[in-house]
Amino acid sequence: ENISDFSLNITDCTQVVVPEEVFFTVAAAGILENLLVLIAVVRNKNLHLPMYFFICSLAISDMLGSLYKTLENIFIILCKMGYLTRRGDFEKKLDDAMDSMFILSLLGSIFSLLAIAADRYITIFYALRYHNIMTLRRALVILAIIWTFCAGSSIAIALFSYEAATVIPFTILFPLMMFFILCLYVHMFLLARSHAKKIASLPTSTVHQRTNMKGAITLTIFLGVFLCCWAPFVLHILLARFCPHNPYCACYMSIFHVNGTLIMCNAIIDPMIFAFRSPELRSTFKKMFCCAR
Amino acid sequence: MSALRLISNRTSQQALSNSDYTWEYEYYEYGPVSFEGLKAHKYSIVIGFWVGLAVFVIFMFFVLTLLTKTGAPHQDNAEPSEKRFRMNSFVADFGRPLESERVFSRQIAEESQSLFHFCINEVEHLDKAKKSQKGPGLESNTHFQEVPRSSGMFEEDLNCPTKFNIPNFVNTEQNSSLGEDDLLISEPPIILESKSVMQSSHRILD
Repeated sequence: ENISDFSLNITDCTQVVVPEEVFFTVAAAGILENLLVLIAVVRNKNLHLPMYFFICSLAISDMLGSLYKTLENIFIILCKMGYLTRRGDFEKKLDDAMDSMFILSLLGSIFSLLAIAADRYITIFYALRYHNIMTLRRALVILAIIWTFCAGSSIAIALFSYEAATVIPFTILFPLMMFFILCLYVHMFLLARSHAKKIASLPTSTVHQRTNMKGAITLTIFLGVFLCCWAPFVLHILLARFCPHNPYCACYMSIFHVNGTLIMCNAIIDPMIFAFRSPELRSTFKKMFCCAR
Repeated sequence: MSALRLISNRTSQQALSNSDYTWEYEYYEYGPVSFEGLKAHKYSIVIGFWVGLAVFVIFMFFVLTLLTKTGAPHQDNAEPSEKRFRMNSFVADFGRPLESERVFSRQIAEESQSLFHFCINEVEHLDKAKKSQKGPGLESNTHFQEVPRSSGMFEEDLNCPTKFNIPNFVNTEQNSSLGEDDLLISEPPIILESKSVMQSSHRILD
């Protein structure tokens, strides 16, 4: 009991609380949007392609992230209202399951982004052999492997989360993947630049610099959004593991709920920058909504 | 993830009189964190982190912009055609990519012409083989806008497929399989047209 009293006096950095309405709205929007993407891909036969399957995988991870946050909040509300005991084994297991869902979502997002980047890389650099390299079946196998690995890792990390040995690889994986994805895209950009140079050297053609500027903007948005939405939380995990008593760390950890909301915002933004870029998918959406009315 | 539980339990604690600290984890039993004698602002990690992140993203953006500058010296005289190129993709005759590529191939150096034609043929074969799979056809053909004088900067072998790899944003959007029309950029793809088609589109735009 003393601890709860302490927790109120313990820090001058009080928890920054995000209103529950905002929380649930953001979470619901994320879940709905990604669900729409999934439905659109399933319903339109033209979208049964490796690229869209990877985008679906990203949508599923985003949905899981938002779902986790929603469930956690519902859980806390239920505890507040007294429907769930706080000491039970069942609640502990439920909590473990939810934590592993969250890690699954994070790992799934990272690997889905990696798969999307690799798919685009193959599209560009092995254009003619793309259909042989990336068949539907291979794409599904790759997705199965990714999700099995993520599920296994998430359960392992959730069970052994108190070990430093799990926190460190988890936080190293994050920047490593980002760096790798960045390298893939940079390589694609370099090819685009050389191609643009060739076009520019033709007598009757030219290329405007703005073309490439837009590419830089798009790629910065891709990676910037992912970084800004997930990195705060990853830093939180690191700080909670290694310096929980430090006042600076404690102040950072007090904005935990804002970090959680950022992750859900990522779930909302991701479909916009990946899925809705495709004209085919947009037209499928329009058809869906027009038919619904 | 006990950190999660730790913090979320603390939040709920502020609303409850009873606490959830029974989800025991060792470091839940923190000693009080003393806030005396802080040299820097107490939110310094938060501020430092976000500033660092913003700086990194901006730096990445500038690096990417620098990387993608074409840097071709004689580019200035033909500047406004970029818009025409964009419109080209709208007015392009999507049904004749092969023809336009054949026409285009006349403008290129002879040493690559044969390779180019060879690749066109190969693509035609590939295309026929794959036509049943795809809705919008001729998707492989649409890759073919790479100037065959390409440096081959990234491909060491002279394999036809690898030599003529092209970034998506110069493909025609014929098919969904190859990705969005704007893989890397958000504008419609630029198509290299035959001269006649370009002239007609110039007329449309001007």
